[in-house]
Amino acid sequence: MEAGAWGRGTLPVPYKGKEEIMYFRCRNCGGNVIYSPERHGMYCPYCESEESGERAESQTDALTVCPNCSGEVPVAEHTSAVQCPYCDSYLIFNERVEGRYAPQMIIPFQMGKESCKQSLRDKFKRCLFAPTDFLSEARLNSMQGYYVPYWFFDYDTTCSFQGEGSKIKVWRSGDKEYTETSIYAIHRSMDIYFEKMPADASEQMPDDVMDLIAPFQYGQMVDFQPKFMSGFLGEKYNMEAGEVEGRAKALMRADAEKLLRESYAGYHAVKTERQDITVKARKTIYGLLPVWKYIYCYQEQEYPFYINGQTGKIVGTAPFSKGKFMAYVGTLWACLTVSLTLLQILLGLL
Amino acid sequence: MENDMKKEAGRQYLHYFRFWFIGIGILALACIGAGIAKQTRGSEPRTNQDAPAERVYDYADVLTDEEEADLRQYIAETEAKLQIDIVLVTINQSVEGQEAMERYGLRSAGWEQNMQDIADDFWDENQYGYNKGFEGDGVLLLHNWYQGQNGEHLSTSGSVEAAFSVRDIDKVLYAVDDYYDTDPYKAYRAYVKKVGDLLDPSWQLPFSWYTVLFLPVIIALVYAVSGSAQKKAENTVAVNTYVAGGKPEMHDKTDEVIRKNITTRKIVTESTSGGGGRSGGGGHHRSSSGASHGGGSHRH
Repeated sequence: MEAGAWGRGTLPVPYKGKEEIMYFRCRNCGGNVIYSPERHGMYCPYCESEESGERAESQTDALTVCPNCSGEVPVAEHTSAVQCPYCDSYLIFNERVEGRYAPQMIIPFQMGKESCKQSLRDKFKRCLFAPTDFLSEARLNSMQGYYVPYWFFDYDTTCSFQGEGSKIKVWRSGDKEYTETSIYAIHRSMDIYFEKMPADASEQMPDDVMDLIAPFQYGQMVDFQPKFMSGFLGEKYNMEAGEVEGRAKALMRADAEKLLRESYAGYHAVKTERQDITVKARKTIYGLLPVWKYIYCYQEQEYPFYINGQTGKIVGTAPFSKGKFMAYVGTLWACLTVSLTLLQILLGLL
Repeated sequence: MENDMKKEAGRQYLHYFRFWFIGIGILALACIGAGIAKQTRGSEPRTNQDAPAERVYDYADVLTDEEEADLRQYIAETEAKLQIDIVLVTINQSVEGQEAMERYGLRSAGWEQNMQDIADDFWDENQYGYNKGFEGDGVLLLHNWYQGQNGEHLSTSGSVEAAFSVRDIDKVLYAVDDYYDTDPYKAYRAYVKKVGDLLDPSWQLPFSWYTVLFLPVIIALVYAVSGSAQKKAENTVAVNTYVAGGKPEMHDKTDEVIRKNITTRKIVTESTSGGGGRSGGGGHHRSSSGASHGGGSHRH
């Protein structure tokens, strides 16, 4: 089951006391209501009602027991939302989305599963040497949406630069060539306010993938409500802000340096005399961002694909089928050789 | 499930290469059609009845009777295939110098000119040519075995004159050169064969066989590399993505000139002159009877 993939390698949490689990129930049919990215609202896939969901809460002895069907649910240490493998209900664990784990912000999924499938097909349709079932409907259906925990950092930076720049102008007059070299004293001073520099707070999400899957459009960021998680899997932050801040700061510093360099672009050469970038951390908030994940297994190897659940940006490389590669390259070579040979013969006969 | 995938893989494969397969099918049909058309129009009857039936004149007596008979047979087969006359003449007489000029009524003292005249005149006087007796299609090899003046001249006429470049003429003569001193019969067979090969339309190809062999390999390699290369994703985060307002708040932006420096350089222009000339030409000329011939000689 896909929910298992999320918690791969981690053990279920043992029983500690009464646990609170919430799920969204349809007022009309009692089915599990989910958040629909296409409709931008709650939707019941059973009776097709819209906005008919009501929050239901139940207490169980352990998070690993589905309050709906009592089936065993695979729950990892940091899982905050999961799907019951027996009754398919989406369950959200109160204590992992509330209190110290309450996200302040969330970008709800904007891309549904069908749009993601189409994005994957569009992106990889030219990957000739991928296995045939790589983009098959059955395989793509295993795709799951995850809310990835993120820390967002605001920084106020003050940048100053002092240096010497040269500009060179060359012109001709008669049989002479003139080269004018002008030396300038450059002074720059500016403030840059960085807002919501993201750094994922999930140990399981590869940092390079999370950097590539950005950017998210913060215009669609809203206050967190648990209903957005119904229909998806989720995780609470499992890395403290202090642990991940280094990444956000490094990205911010690189951006600040680039912006400073851009401010004195146009010189032929620049000699730096003094450069200062002072950073003041302003605010840190915790939020969830939407990511679709598709794991394709081929020849005992996993090929993960991550799709930005808001913009549809895909991160991942298609698997490579040696058989298909040989067949296609060989056929192309044979077709070219046969075509040229036949063309030779035909033109010779004419 | 696996069977379905195999079927799907086959369907994708056929779909992907459909234009190639259709193209190859069309080309193959066109080749068959052109081949049949060539077969039917290939057997044009001989229209020149004035020329003698003899093709091998071994005046130098370098061939045995059997070899002559074999050559006649081989020439007849090649002629039927190419619809040209192929003549071989061997002589053993001086064609150079004042004495030869007076004795044989030659117009020049030069070996090459006289060989050319003798070959062309022999062709013209006997009215050779597959299609007509004047400027008809065919080729004649004249081989002089006279000591000190050994060498060949190839005289071309009609369609062969039009088809053979100086290089082709050389190729025929070199084919003869390879064997003449060890086995004249083999040398003359090589002459007929080379003429046949050079005029065989299936060998007059628009591009070389090396192209046919290597171009697909190169294209397939490029295809393989470009089809395999892929990146995880591009970094699309702009430098100002997380900057409030999209740009920095600038407080100081001054650029002051502190010094200027001008250097001058005299421009030296080099005049170029010259250019190469090209000389040369084909072996086209007119014989004493006014007929156009092509040709070339090799003297040993």
